[in-house]
Amino acid sequence: MRTRTIRAWSWVHKWSSLISTVFLLMLCITGLPLVFTHEIEEVLLHQQWEPARSDGSKLNLDQVLEVALSRHPGDVAAFMSFDEERPVVNVTSVDPKGPAGVYNFQPIDQTSGEAAPPVAGHPVMEFLLQLHTHMFLGLPGMLFLGAMGLFLIAALVSGVVLYAPFMRRLPFGTVRASKAARTRWLDYHNLLGAVTLAWVLVVGVTGVVNTLATPIIAFWKDTALKELTAAYDAPVAAGERASLDAAVKRAQAALPGMRLQFVAFPGSDYSTDHHYAVFFHGDTPLTMHMTTPALIDARTGDLAAVAPMPWYVKTLSLSQPLHFGDYGGLGLKILWALLDIAMIVILISGLYLWLAKRKKTS
Amino acid sequence: MSRKDLGFRAIFDAPIILFALSLTGLIGALLEDGLWDGLGAALLGTPLLVLAWALIRRRR
Repeated sequence: MRTRTIRAWSWVHKWSSLISTVFLLMLCITGLPLVFTHEIEEVLLHQQWEPARSDGSKLNLDQVLEVALSRHPGDVAAFMSFDEERPVVNVTSVDPKGPAGVYNFQPIDQTSGEAAPPVAGHPVMEFLLQLHTHMFLGLPGMLFLGAMGLFLIAALVSGVVLYAPFMRRLPFGTVRASKAARTRWLDYHNLLGAVTLAWVLVVGVTGVVNTLATPIIAFWKDTALKELTAAYDAPVAAGERASLDAAVKRAQAALPGMRLQFVAFPGSDYSTDHHYAVFFHGDTPLTMHMTTPALIDARTGDLAAVAPMPWYVKTLSLSQPLHFGDYGGLGLKILWALLDIAMIVILISGLYLWLAKRKKTS
Repeated sequence: MSRKDLGFRAIFDAPIILFALSLTGLIGALLEDGLWDGLGAALLGTPLLVLAWALIRRRR
């Protein structure tokens, strides 16, 4: 490789890394406990709980919704989701006059309507998650971190290119441990980078895709769902909506064999102003992460459409497990953690190498 | 230094193989359950084994 080419790639590697390192470090450090969110919350939120009734009688979904909204007068329903292991329905509602993005989340015992203890959403984990996804800055924060992810990808590509001239006289894996600190850490940096590349690239690219979740979902609503709303001008008042319970049953009949995941209410992020969007997922490993909504007209309760997701929403759906590492049991999570630690060492050694080089040249 | 430079394959063969193994593990565990959960983790674990090997056996 010619000296000028090497210099250009060094420039790309240096600046893409310098700009993003502090944010990538924050992402790696907060990501480490987040990998184990489920396990940590199981410990932190552990509480003995039994449903109030065990005779199998349950409230219907309209009753659950009514109970939930009566506890937060003035709220409107946004989402309803369903626990897999407990007869618990989770209602997420929002005060339309309150600050944006502030939701009330209530797990409700479907056998009695009483509040059930939460199994997710511990404040510490929520804090870490928000720091990790948007640094408490909402959409701009998310997009900013997406941009940092693009810098990471540039640093990876330039790192691969620069690996060749650095390694042209060293057999793979060489660590010159007896040499000066700068040489030693250069070898660690190169070795760690070379062996972890695939994982870092996958987590980096899927992280960038995940930062685009809001625009991706908004685009989907504006295009794929648009024609469904053409017939209506104003949304129907919440009190005049068709039965939610019947809507979910209608949707289940339209998608037999699929598993109910959640309901997005009219006017929420994942639906139109005029429909209940009832989301299902499959039960094979691949389709587990793929959702398909059935849209039920909130006025009439009729099935308006089954809307399989377009490729860009499917890409987003697959990017989530590949970023979180939560799809292959505890073994995969432990690897996620170890590789994450390797990434932290790469970031810090890179920073050190830059500082050491500056000191030497000045 | 008078030694001859290593060629592309000598430099990149090992990283490319690790890249392919990791990627197979990452995607395999996503597409299939059961056996693949363990196999996927094993494949994704190869970089760490190679790392341990290099840190022990390639120290100079």
